[in-house]
Amino acid sequence: MRCAWPGLLGLFWLALLPLFATAAEPVAVPRLEARVTDRTGTLDTGNRQRLEILLEAVERDRGAQIAVLLLPTTQPETIEQFSIRLAEAWKIGHKGADNGIIIIVAKNDRKMRIEVGYGLEGAIPDAVAKRIVAERMAPRFKQGDFAGGLIDAAEAIEQAIAGPAAGGAPPAETPTGIPVVSPDGMGGEHPDWMTWLFMLVVGAGILRLMLGVAGSLLAAGIGGWLGFMVFGSLLGAGGAALLIFLLSFVNLLSGGRGGGGGGFSSSSSDSGFSGGGGSFGGGGASGDW
Amino acid sequence: MRMRLLAVLTFAATLLSGCGYNQIQINDEAVNAAWSEVLNQYKRRADLIPNLVSVVQGYASHEKEVLTRVTEARANVAGIKATPELVNDPAAFAKFQKAQGDLGGALSRLLAVAENYPQLKADTNFRDLQAQVEGTENRITVARNRYIKSVQEYNVSVRTFPNSLTASVMGWQTKANFTVEDEKAISAPPAIKFDTPAAKPAPSAPSY
Repeated sequence: MRCAWPGLLGLFWLALLPLFATAAEPVAVPRLEARVTDRTGTLDTGNRQRLEILLEAVERDRGAQIAVLLLPTTQPETIEQFSIRLAEAWKIGHKGADNGIIIIVAKNDRKMRIEVGYGLEGAIPDAVAKRIVAERMAPRFKQGDFAGGLIDAAEAIEQAIAGPAAGGAPPAETPTGIPVVSPDGMGGEHPDWMTWLFMLVVGAGILRLMLGVAGSLLAAGIGGWLGFMVFGSLLGAGGAALLIFLLSFVNLLSGGRGGGGGGFSSSSSDSGFSGGGGSFGGGGASGDW
Repeated sequence: MRMRLLAVLTFAATLLSGCGYNQIQINDEAVNAAWSEVLNQYKRRADLIPNLVSVVQGYASHEKEVLTRVTEARANVAGIKATPELVNDPAAFAKFQKAQGDLGGALSRLLAVAENYPQLKADTNFRDLQAQVEGTENRITVARNRYIKSVQEYNVSVRTFPNSLTASVMGWQTKANFTVEDEKAISAPPAIKFDTPAAKPAPSAPSY
């Protein structure tokens, strides 16, 4: 039986292969630098600034973050597939409030989409997004007036957020991006000893990184001492020491992929605009012109 | 005595957490959450159908075949209890999948047929519903993709080495994932026919 495991594992990966195959060379997600990212050279400086000022005002007044991206094409993906990938990368909207919106225009594909974050699906249901796409953007895009269509769409979105249906939209209490505690996040109320354990494990991992196995032993020693203090017995001390010793290895193993935790690297430029950690679930509407 | 038992338990817990017990638990919970979102969006789609059917009926009442097919598919979907345990039962999962796939197919046919009725297409109510159905289909795609990713992560965590021992001790199995239901139908090139009259499809003609 044992020797069958590698084979089964191979089969499993084979079964996953189609997943990777379909993802052949998708368009790379552009870096988020400003509220308006134009990869097609369509918007002139004046219109671009007008749009940015408008979007900035929306965030100031309503708390909602809106980002605009113009790009030549999303092929081979559909605009919806690209859009959700973009949304997952940019994380527009504030964490917890999820009040982000992305307007995407694929110019050569003649397609556009409004991607609506979870928190705004009440204020901007799909039908409203579709109307904005079909009635505000498409007619102007047909005439080649991209700036006008985008500005009009942004105004319509603001009205929808501010409008009578605004009950679902969170009040603008997080204008500066103070993260709201996510309801399902890891930041709940842990008992105090969990914090201690966490600190110990992190410390053990660091010691192990610095000193190797000696570091683990050192951490185990500290853990054992703490265990003795808490449990008041040698058994408790031994258990705690063993626990810390083992966990120091676990921590090291997971340390490799733990690097991407913090996402706030806005050190590149002062005017840099960054998403606040909003999440998206595929709401919104697409259209063409 | 009690202390010794405690020590043994601590030791066991230590071993398990060292061997991925917690990781598997975390991944398992992630799969559950992703699955709930899939169910949520499927339900949202099912809820849209009665309105859609009644609007289409108002303009295209003689499209009986398409309409009944949607209604039947919806009834089939409603007949399957979508419990979280479904994820752990590949056969039931496949059945559920097929029912949802049928509903998706029937629904897209209904929307395709609607293209033939300019008045229906101009109806604001219909357009809103259409936008909602499209949006929901997209949400379903997103939710399914996230589910696929979370199951992949879970299955890997159950099958890779130190964890696999923990999993086999605890009796945890890998979870069922989505597949393309009709692989053959998709890989075959679509048959294009130009001779069917667009305006009045025969009501009793077998589709496809």
